[in-house]
Amino acid sequence: MKKILFIVVFFTIIFIGCDKEITLVLDDNKPVLVIDGSITDQAGPYFVQLSLSTTINNPTRINGVNNARVIITDQAGVKDSLQLVSNGLYKTQKIKGMEGGTYNLEVEVDQKKYTASATMPLKVNFDSLRINTFPFNGEIRYSVIPVYADPVTLGNSYRFIQKINDTIDPTFHVFNDNLNNGKVNQRPLRGGDDNLKIKPRDNVFVEMQCISNTSYTYYYSLNLQSGAGPGGGTAPSNPPSNIEGGALGIFSAHSVQRKTITIR
Amino acid sequence: MAKKIGFFNLIIGVFSLISSVSAQSTLVLSGSVRDKQTGESLIKAVVRIQELPNAGIISNEYGFYSLSLPKGNYSVMVSQVGYETLVQKIKLDSSITINFSLQTKNVLKEVVVESSRKNDNLTKAQMGTETINMAAISKVPVIFGEKDLLKTIQLLPGVKSAGEGNSGFFVRGGGADQNLILLDEAPVYNATHLLGFFSTFNSDAIKDATIIKGNSPSQYGGRLSSVLDVKMKEGNNQDYTVNGGIGLISSKVSIEGPLQKNKSSFILSGRRTYADVFLKATEKFKDNILYFYDLNAKANYQINAKNKIYVSGYFGRDELGLGQDFGIDWGNKTGTIRWNKIISNKLFLNTSFIYSDYNYNVKLKNGETNFNINSEIKDVNLKQDYTLYTNTQNTLRFGFNTILHNIRPSTFTGTVINSVAKTGRNGLENAVYLTNNYKATNQLTIDYGMRLSMYTLMGGDVYNIYQNGVVSSSIKLAPSSFGKTYANLEPRITTNFRIDDEKSIKAGYARNVQHLHLLSNSVASSPSDQWIGNSYNIKPEIADQISVGYVTKVFKSNFEFTTEAYYKHLQNQIDYKDGAEINTVSDVESVLLYGIGRAYGLELLLKKKEGRLTGWIGYTLSKTERKIEGINENNWYNARQDRTHDISVVGIYDLNARWSISGVFVYNTGDAVTYPTGKYNVQGQTLYQYAARNANRMPAYHRLDFSATYEKNKTKRMHGSWNFSLYNVYGRENAYRISFKDDPNDPTRTQIIRTALFKWVPSVTYQFKF
Repeated sequence: MKKILFIVVFFTIIFIGCDKEITLVLDDNKPVLVIDGSITDQAGPYFVQLSLSTTINNPTRINGVNNARVIITDQAGVKDSLQLVSNGLYKTQKIKGMEGGTYNLEVEVDQKKYTASATMPLKVNFDSLRINTFPFNGEIRYSVIPVYADPVTLGNSYRFIQKINDTIDPTFHVFNDNLNNGKVNQRPLRGGDDNLKIKPRDNVFVEMQCISNTSYTYYYSLNLQSGAGPGGGTAPSNPPSNIEGGALGIFSAHSVQRKTITIR
Repeated sequence: MAKKIGFFNLIIGVFSLISSVSAQSTLVLSGSVRDKQTGESLIKAVVRIQELPNAGIISNEYGFYSLSLPKGNYSVMVSQVGYETLVQKIKLDSSITINFSLQTKNVLKEVVVESSRKNDNLTKAQMGTETINMAAISKVPVIFGEKDLLKTIQLLPGVKSAGEGNSGFFVRGGGADQNLILLDEAPVYNATHLLGFFSTFNSDAIKDATIIKGNSPSQYGGRLSSVLDVKMKEGNNQDYTVNGGIGLISSKVSIEGPLQKNKSSFILSGRRTYADVFLKATEKFKDNILYFYDLNAKANYQINAKNKIYVSGYFGRDELGLGQDFGIDWGNKTGTIRWNKIISNKLFLNTSFIYSDYNYNVKLKNGETNFNINSEIKDVNLKQDYTLYTNTQNTLRFGFNTILHNIRPSTFTGTVINSVAKTGRNGLENAVYLTNNYKATNQLTIDYGMRLSMYTLMGGDVYNIYQNGVVSSSIKLAPSSFGKTYANLEPRITTNFRIDDEKSIKAGYARNVQHLHLLSNSVASSPSDQWIGNSYNIKPEIADQISVGYVTKVFKSNFEFTTEAYYKHLQNQIDYKDGAEINTVSDVESVLLYGIGRAYGLELLLKKKEGRLTGWIGYTLSKTERKIEGINENNWYNARQDRTHDISVVGIYDLNARWSISGVFVYNTGDAVTYPTGKYNVQGQTLYQYAARNANRMPAYHRLDFSATYEKNKTKRMHGSWNFSLYNVYGRENAYRISFKDDPNDPTRTQIIRTALFKWVPSVTYQFKF
């Protein structure tokens, strides 16, 4: 052992950079029609919201499209012409949403036609909500688990809207049964938002929607739009949807069930 | 057409074989080249005959050389970078074996990137090739003061970093999975530690690394863009040596020494980080785990003058965890057994048996439920490689390689899900190759060759065939049966024409075929990236590259200027549908999309290899695009790694005997990314509207690093040195991520947020040796 080499690193201080707001020159935006419509198994009326997209620098708001002709038909031949309420919001008159029913939407704005078709999946019973706790960085965190038994057939999708004391959780919670087909769900609704921590005595409201696989992919893609660059996600794009004709948004037919739980 | 060229090459090969038999009138000088102090064999040492300017050979991976010469008296000149050139007079009246031992230069004039001889780049046909001198990279400043092979090669033109805190790299427009990374011939599937901050290569155990940018000789194959061939040290066969390092980030120790003096040796080298020790000291993060370790081991044993055996292995693992609830660990294991046999003084044979394994596990625990994801890729690989030193003009290399791949894609198990046992798919990759180095004249050298690569699907799994994303039929291959075989011919040729002692021009063409493909959910490399082999839907990826180059000495021969231009066409490139869940979908092939790609560029490199100032300036002008059916309305779009301009400047200056300083400057056009063009409000939430894919740019990336080394007085027992370095001298906040979100104070306004990783990273290192 003639030679011994020792390397001692005395210190390494890292000045970690931080988040900073910047301005960017963005490409010109072409305003595009946005359609957000749904038919549920609850009593009507149902609504279709039409709006136009805007540039990043403009304020975010619903720029309603009021000059459209909006029609929904079902497979029984019922044809419903929707009525404008205000700011691009249209209301059905007579159509009734049912499990298993197929609905066709037709929107015409300035001689341009957009169509979409949606079938309401069979309802899976929303049994209950239960509380899930887990330690995280030295504190106890809470989340809720929607309890339902997934049917044995593969291909069920769900969306959950979570409200914590009337504040809507902005995460699009969507589940499918790729991995847990036919099992009772044990996966919690984990929000990505730290500002929306669930605390003891909070009231948590959950709406469960049994949605189509197309709607699932739509919401799942929206969750992937997490920024650009080496630290961002996949290259973002407009989410795939069931609307034909070049409009953004989704036309969904889904069932609705609601439950509330108080954290103890 | 390709088949015709192949046939032509084969014929030439056979002719060279025949000519070797008939050329018995010449004598053979053969042997090995080694380091005098350590006995390490020297790769790419140049053996030349002063009396015959056209006779010369470069020692192979094991230090072996063989030269055919007429009878006579000669002066043999043996040279290698960092060593004193040896000149020995010999009298050749019969074929003889001479082993040369070279003495290291004791001056500190090591250069980082070097060709093995001063004029080497002018005479070799090989294009787009750079060798990294491991001893010298310690002077190039790096983040955290940990010298790193992968970080250093990213400073070369044509090689682009995948981003800050990422060891992934892109070569000439190829993806990060299109680089063949070999450690003692074993493929390394994930060359990163700590989510990409470190590479798996412990520089203390590495002897030499060479990167070939697409024009590799035909003994290499299986990846489209490049070959990074990393060789481990053999160990000192003269004396026991212990090297160690203790640092805040990691500690390492290496032991090497002779098993039998002059004949056999071993090296053992281990490294472990312990950031988790500091995490434990904090109340908040005390349950978190974050570390990696790796172990390199190698031994060689000389059976007799003609036979030598090498055994080498690598074992590395990363562990990351948050308390009891979440854990992820991943790692590579590789093992290589090699047998060198000198069949005759003209024929060298190496047989390798290689094992390689990469796997990852993710554990999720949530109260009473738990959930695991794991994936594994295993290779068993047999290779035989013959080198025939046919005559003074021809060196022929031929052999075969057969690899059995077992690839198990992401498999989920747990209490809450349907655990599906996946056995994984087997594939058999076979290749035969032949390549000839032909010194046509004193001025013209041609390397030409052909590789036939084949991939056969093996039984034990069901393969679905998709048409427009819908299953059209399904093939169940019984265990131990064979399915479809893909066969591809890969012709390769490079030529070098030496205009005079100062200038030469080069041109080359190569086809590379890739049978294994990486599906990645994230832009940065992630341990959960999935590999997949060819199938009935996934066809082998093919790249055709043509390149031309010019090398010249400039400024009174003090500098070497190299320029290369390339055009590359890629086929059967893979991407996946928008919104695809590649990890959970029952058959990932249902969400894949296929297309083509193209990449072209110009690379300029000005190197100074001698004197008090050494270093280089590299510049790349390039374009990289993809066209995938189903993405971006089937139009061409920029690949993420498309960067128009890329500049790197590296300088090392010896101020005096004590002080030397070095600096690195990098600049590149920002990555091609997709920013939203607009936004809309749905159900109270802001959503973004996108137009063409990757039509926007991240802000340009640039950074300056600086380091200074002070050597203390050498005494007999003790030798110490200080190294001070500063990463990102002017504190540029380079964008790591750009995100768009609602302003918390005014939700109708959109904020564009730039996230930067590091501002300044200073470090001080003290080294001492006794």
